Amino acid sequence: MSELPPTTSVKRWFVTTNHKDIGILYTITALFFLLFGGVLALLIRMQLWDPTSQVLSGLAYNEAVTAHGLIMVFWFLSPFGFGFANYFVPLQIGADDLAFPRLNALSYWMYLFSGILLGISFFQGGTLSAGWTMYAPLNIPMYTPSIGSTGAVLALFMFVVGITASTVNFLTSIHHSRAEGMGIMDMPMFTWSILATVWMMLFAFAALLAVGLILASDRVLGSVYFSATEGGSLLWGHLFWFFGHPEVYIVFFPALGVMLELFQTFSGRRLVGRKWVIIAICLISVQSFLVWMHHMFLTTINLEIKTLMMATTIGISLPFDLLVFSLIYTLMKGRIQFTTPFLFAFGALLLFILGGITGVFLGAIVLDYEFRGTYWVVAHFHYVMFGGATALFGGAYYWFPKVTGKMYDELLGKIHFVIFFISFNMVYFSMFLGWETPRRVFQYNPEFQIYHQFGTIGAFVLGLSFFIMFYNFAKSYVSGEPAGDNPWDYSRTAEWAVSSPPPLENWPNRPSYASGKLEFVKDYVPDGGPAVKADADGNAATDGGDNHEEHISKYPYWDKHPSHASIWPFSLSLGLGIMLLGLSGFSESLSFALGDSLASTTMTVSNPVYPILVVVGLIWLIGSGVKWGLEEFYAPPSEFAERWPFEGVEKVKLGMWFFLASDVIVFGAFLSAAIFVRYNAGWMTWEPLTESLPGLINTFVLITSSFTVILALVAAHRKSRQGLLASLGATIGFGFVFLAIKLWEWHHEVFDRGVTINANAHGDPIQASIYYVTTGLHGIHVVIGLLIAIFLFVRVYQGHYLDDERPIEYFGLYWHFVDIVWVFIFPLFYLF
Amino acid sequence: MIDSLILQQGSDWRAQAEVFEEIFFVFLALGTLIGTIVVAYTLWNVYKYRDDGGEPKEDFDAPEVGELPTGQGGPKAKKLFLSFGLSAIVVISLVVYAYGILLYVEDGPAAGDGSDVEILVEGYQFGWAYEYPNGHTTRGEMIVPADNRINLEVTSRDVWHNFGSSDLRIKSDAIPGDTSETWFSVSSEEVEAQGGEATYRVECFELCGSQHSAMEGQITVLPEDEWEEWYANTGSDSENSSNVEGGVSVDGAASINDAAVGGVSA
Repeated sequence: MSELPPTTSVKRWFVTTNHKDIGILYTITALFFLLFGGVLALLIRMQLWDPTSQVLSGLAYNEAVTAHGLIMVFWFLSPFGFGFANYFVPLQIGADDLAFPRLNALSYWMYLFSGILLGISFFQGGTLSAGWTMYAPLNIPMYTPSIGSTGAVLALFMFVVGITASTVNFLTSIHHSRAEGMGIMDMPMFTWSILATVWMMLFAFAALLAVGLILASDRVLGSVYFSATEGGSLLWGHLFWFFGHPEVYIVFFPALGVMLELFQTFSGRRLVGRKWVIIAICLISVQSFLVWMHHMFLTTINLEIKTLMMATTIGISLPFDLLVFSLIYTLMKGRIQFTTPFLFAFGALLLFILGGITGVFLGAIVLDYEFRGTYWVVAHFHYVMFGGATALFGGAYYWFPKVTGKMYDELLGKIHFVIFFISFNMVYFSMFLGWETPRRVFQYNPEFQIYHQFGTIGAFVLGLSFFIMFYNFAKSYVSGEPAGDNPWDYSRTAEWAVSSPPPLENWPNRPSYASGKLEFVKDYVPDGGPAVKADADGNAATDGGDNHEEHISKYPYWDKHPSHASIWPFSLSLGLGIMLLGLSGFSESLSFALGDSLASTTMTVSNPVYPILVVVGLIWLIGSGVKWGLEEFYAPPSEFAERWPFEGVEKVKLGMWFFLASDVIVFGAFLSAAIFVRYNAGWMTWEPLTESLPGLINTFVLITSSFTVILALVAAHRKSRQGLLASLGATIGFGFVFLAIKLWEWHHEVFDRGVTINANAHGDPIQASIYYVTTGLHGIHVVIGLLIAIFLFVRVYQGHYLDDERPIEYFGLYWHFVDIVWVFIFPLFYLF
Repeated sequence: MIDSLILQQGSDWRAQAEVFEEIFFVFLALGTLIGTIVVAYTLWNVYKYRDDGGEPKEDFDAPEVGELPTGQGGPKAKKLFLSFGLSAIVVISLVVYAYGILLYVEDGPAAGDGSDVEILVEGYQFGWAYEYPNGHTTRGEMIVPADNRINLEVTSRDVWHNFGSSDLRIKSDAIPGDTSETWFSVSSEEVEAQGGEATYRVECFELCGSQHSAMEGQITVLPEDEWEEWYANTGSDSENSSNVEGGVSVDGAASINDAAVGGVSA
């Protein structure tokens, strides 16, 4: 499955793992979601035309508003930016592809199928109607009962899983695959902004994953987190906005990166104060996690924390000021060319300035007391997010010649810009004028009608203006002028040094900046060894031994040709999609009547379709995972690369560490939720739900299993198949003992003590929910670990991992992580 | 320092609406000024340095494909820091100013002669219920006296709402299981100016379900003595609804818009 069919075949697009293909897939799919979200926006604007009449019912309006927000924020803006990131980050850093090509394809298919799930949710009794912010308890079935609401939540969950894979991929790539001579500070600004974006994504989306899992648990399993009066609503507020604020910078930064590139290319000047721009970007990335309560100024949080958040919020405008000034000063003394890409990037800056200033207003608490829940907020975030994204359209025009090899029509592009810019301001400035209108309200004060009508006209013009771009691209793709390698006078980055479009593996030889600028270097490959540096005659350079030690990547398959095709990402995503579709209607299709024990408990199935989908999807998912593991697929990293600050760390190990960092945040969110709710309920009013003995035994069981997994790695190093089988088998055995004790414990709680996921005979129901969901999440991690361990066991039996023991090592890392999490869970649930 | 910022208005307080207008004006003036300067400066420079098609000057050091970036520091950064420093001064001043105003708004004016009226506001799907100190409840219309400080304790019976009156410039989240606070005060001059009875529109500012758009209410301010009379006639009977419905009728249209002004329910 490694042969890649030509681009004209349909099959190619299902099996490709090449970053350029995937970039194209992301971009086109994102534009489709732009249309979907845009149509919803037009429905909203039609409803706003007249406050005394309605096009949609109240519920349908709320669905439109919710889906518009979810689609635009998640399914359009970031994927559109990441389409460019996929295509151009490897080119800009001198790499052949991303670090994990199959994982990259998986991210795309997860994105697509999650969007399909969201579309299906409209037909499952109506999609979610609680706003894209999904406040609690409006987000629980009691208030939003449709199956489609659950479907939308699960669609978002699937999207976040795909995003996490993408994050790990980009982090590993940028930190592991840079060309020789390209230090971190030397990377192009677009890649820098993507690096900052993915660092933020690692931590922010983990929080969303956690809160999404909790919401899914409330909706599918019947837990009671968000209906709890012991802070359920505020819990959602904190967890969601801890994600939500970094998210808006995650959305903006790719666009910022495009602006930073285009301002340089179309002025012919290098970025002013580059070092400080990079520092500002890093500062914003960190600070974005310190401002989230500005979305909660009107809740019951105390004055001190509100004041702190006001300071950090207004303060975060400072690094943005630096970025804006740097962009402006870069243009000065340049030779500015008003091409379509530049017009969009420059327009984006103007829109962002207006949006940013109005954001400072919102940071002043007293002003926010009035702006809360009004169109001031809506206007502000459209100016910064959509206004920022304007730069992404500039990027589309900028890179169109590189991707297609044809030049777009410049006149049509300029016309598009003019109509876009004028209609954009018509829609969103009118919102400032009528700002006192409450959000998500269509029966507003008639005083504001004129502004809303003006805005509605602008919205239709804005929507139609996109068709100018679509027509331009389609026409130019078919019959445009050939563009050549580099149609721009002053571009600097490596993608303009290769053909348009670039070859499959990107480069004629190995790109290197060791000489101070980009050159393509031919290395010397001796028989039986990896590549070494060549001297001027093309023979091995005399310090070949040193070379090898310095630069070896420790990847054992250096001699394999890179693979480019696999069907398993598509297949695995399909399986997960089917399973989640089944879960959306799961709780409505099954009901349980508890007897005295599990044996006497009955299950009634009212609708077999959803449960069957769950089972089929799960089997398909696991099957695809096994096939993925068995597939021969190679992505050898370069022998020579800049890897600071992770020199010496092998590629897959680095990816595993990034993944575990994300999982730490997920569990951190769950544990924080437990602590927050218990604090609100009154810490000492809760007794541990279970006796501590089963938990204590399980702690010893897991710690011992960590020890046996270390023994497994030692056995693999010593190439002892027997030792490896014994220790891996022991680990699996201990894992099963852990699960057995856990199941006994749960059985005892449910049937003997009357403590279920939403009922507690010994205290607050929320306490029971937290116990089952948190220990359950940990339990799922144990189950997944066991599935992987069993797979490895079978493979060891077949003779593998004695030469390449990396899978044993990385499984060990995961297993240790799972055990360490338990060490935190145990005291919180069993001792205090 | 705070006192000098507060205009004395007879009874030593400032209405929230007035505070808001002041701080909004300051931010708007400053924001417009700075925005206009920055945008104008940028547009001027973009025009001045446009590529007019001629040959680049000899010392024009054009970037090339494949070069490593420069400009990691250097003299041009000086201008950047000057601008950054100016914006820092503006931003920090705004934070300090906003903080001063915040302290006033959080605490409100001194209670003075102890004439505070405390009202419990409960949002529900889809209307507002008010409970007065003597236990009397109304729905939709809150009736309060002028010249008193009205303290609101806001909560919800079901989902997250937000109780807000744009005219009075007050707003507070209504969170189930929790209680938030705000206050307001309307002068008797204002009531006089509105013909003996001042009314203010109440709307819901947090999405709360299918009838969120129609979820409205009203605050009616009476002269103090009239209010005392009305209040004295109420018992602690429950759900004694006024003649203005704050909830919604089946066809989804709010009735608040055409409510007759006047009259106080007995």
